[in-house]
Amino acid sequence: MLDAIKSYLSTSATPGEAGSMLWATIYILIITIGISLAVIAMNWLERKILAHMQIRLGPMRVGPHGLLQPFADALKLLIKEDIIPENADKLVFWSAPVVVTMTAFTTFLVVPFGREHAVTDMNIGILFMLGVSSLGVLGIIMAGWSSNSHYPLMGSLRSSAQMVSYEVAMGLAIVCAVLMTSLQTGTGTLSMIGIVEAQAAQHTWFIFKMFPLGFLAFAIFAIAMVAETNRAPFDLPEAESELVAGFHTEYSGFRWSLFFLAEYAAMLAVSSIAVTLWLGGWLRPFPNWLSGPAWDMAFSLVPALTMFVLAGLCLLGAARMPKIPQMKIQTAGLLIFGLLLGFIGLVLLLPGVRERVQDIYWFVAKVAFFMYLYIWYRGTFPRYRFDQLMKVGWKVLLPTGLGVLIATAVWGLLPQIGSAIMGVLP
Amino acid sequence: MSLPPLLRKILLVDLIKGLKVTFHYQPPSEAVTEQYPLERPVIYERYRGQPRLKVDPESGHSMCIVCNLCALACPEQLIVVKGERNPVTKRKEPVSWTYDLSRCMFCGLCAEACSTDALELTQDYEMALYSREGMVLDQKALEEGQQPVRYAK
Repeated sequence: MLDAIKSYLSTSATPGEAGSMLWATIYILIITIGISLAVIAMNWLERKILAHMQIRLGPMRVGPHGLLQPFADALKLLIKEDIIPENADKLVFWSAPVVVTMTAFTTFLVVPFGREHAVTDMNIGILFMLGVSSLGVLGIIMAGWSSNSHYPLMGSLRSSAQMVSYEVAMGLAIVCAVLMTSLQTGTGTLSMIGIVEAQAAQHTWFIFKMFPLGFLAFAIFAIAMVAETNRAPFDLPEAESELVAGFHTEYSGFRWSLFFLAEYAAMLAVSSIAVTLWLGGWLRPFPNWLSGPAWDMAFSLVPALTMFVLAGLCLLGAARMPKIPQMKIQTAGLLIFGLLLGFIGLVLLLPGVRERVQDIYWFVAKVAFFMYLYIWYRGTFPRYRFDQLMKVGWKVLLPTGLGVLIATAVWGLLPQIGSAIMGVLP
Repeated sequence: MSLPPLLRKILLVDLIKGLKVTFHYQPPSEAVTEQYPLERPVIYERYRGQPRLKVDPESGHSMCIVCNLCALACPEQLIVVKGERNPVTKRKEPVSWTYDLSRCMFCGLCAEACSTDALELTQDYEMALYSREGMVLDQKALEEGQQPVRYAK
């Protein structure tokens, strides 16, 4: 058994490539748990960062610095009464959150957390992700329709209109990145792992490729992905001030928390698309400028260092806790949490672990940056009006996307055009 | 920095400016939230809170001489003072004092009108109670200050 594990870990293949059912299942379990934990962490971080941006403190009472708040919330949601409205379409009402959650989680099948850290390397990876994630709209429409109420219906109609229109611009931006994969080899790829490997082979992330075309495509995607996940400033479907809560107005308890889970999982999914396509996926930063084994070594220590910094922050927080008897347990908890983080940091220092975890670390760090952007946007921007939203989508992003696509194609063909002209000329 | 409006729109200048503002507010030291039971607000000297009736520390008598000026000054007429002359000391002493906190707006006119500085509005601000009746303070409550009521099932 141990040998089997060791022999698998020594190979560098995804479970899909290795054809190993067992490992695929293990990866899926790990990813599912990881995403759920990430959503819990996001919940806390969002409330904290948003609060700090608004000069508040955010959750402070449940656990040290409110660290246990998301768990308290989850517990509350689980034991809350589950209400299905009397006139709702029961079956559709019941299945809508399932559809939304399942589509959001299925996309992670092809997300490459590292060269060997994906469940499978599908040759149509990016297409699969787009296709499955846009099925989520179906779930939202189902939720809005089956609630048999005005606000959810309005919310779901807005949501579907918005998601469908922004998907076009998003698709155009993605095609730009896919075109770039074919630059050196002549054949492009849709596989998520293939796209990152193309960036490694071309020694540049696609955001810097063909400047400013790569950056423009990325910018279009970065705007469209916020709209796609219904987040501020494009959060019209759940506009609290107008629609109560949009499509999930009638949902409560566990079903509502499924929607919540799906929303954050979808955010993680689109962020990982952006990271894979433009920010070099699992590749570490500055591979050209700071190259060589010494730098490789230095960068492989970063995950452990991050853990140590977090642990240090926890210990500092524990030291700065108010010294009163009511806070004793909280201080001890924070201390233990800090020590735990420090221990994880020590484990990450082991050579074998270091090699394997590095990829995941860089990928997650980049996705975390996008998650921060989401929160930052929400703390800063006011909501768009619906006509403005449509105007931005159809009149600005779509033409720009088309222009960038054409420009990318022409730029990519320049050498061939040049040689053709040279051939014609005597 | 004055770019033409179109360029400002394309480069998202205003949005980036907004992002900068929220970014700078992030250090938790900027937060204005007060962790109330742990941290207590700073109360200034002239704050007008819970009314107090002073007792002369030497003789132990109430400093109130039942001149009724506070009751007359009160715009809400929530102060009712009754007193009678003490035959021994020849002083007028309060017999019953009521101060209805539930109607008080803490204007401080009563304390200002008081000829002996017996009535004052203190810096105490925790006046929450479990019943309306408790808001009508008698002489004892006014002299000793409101005692916190423990919640019991």
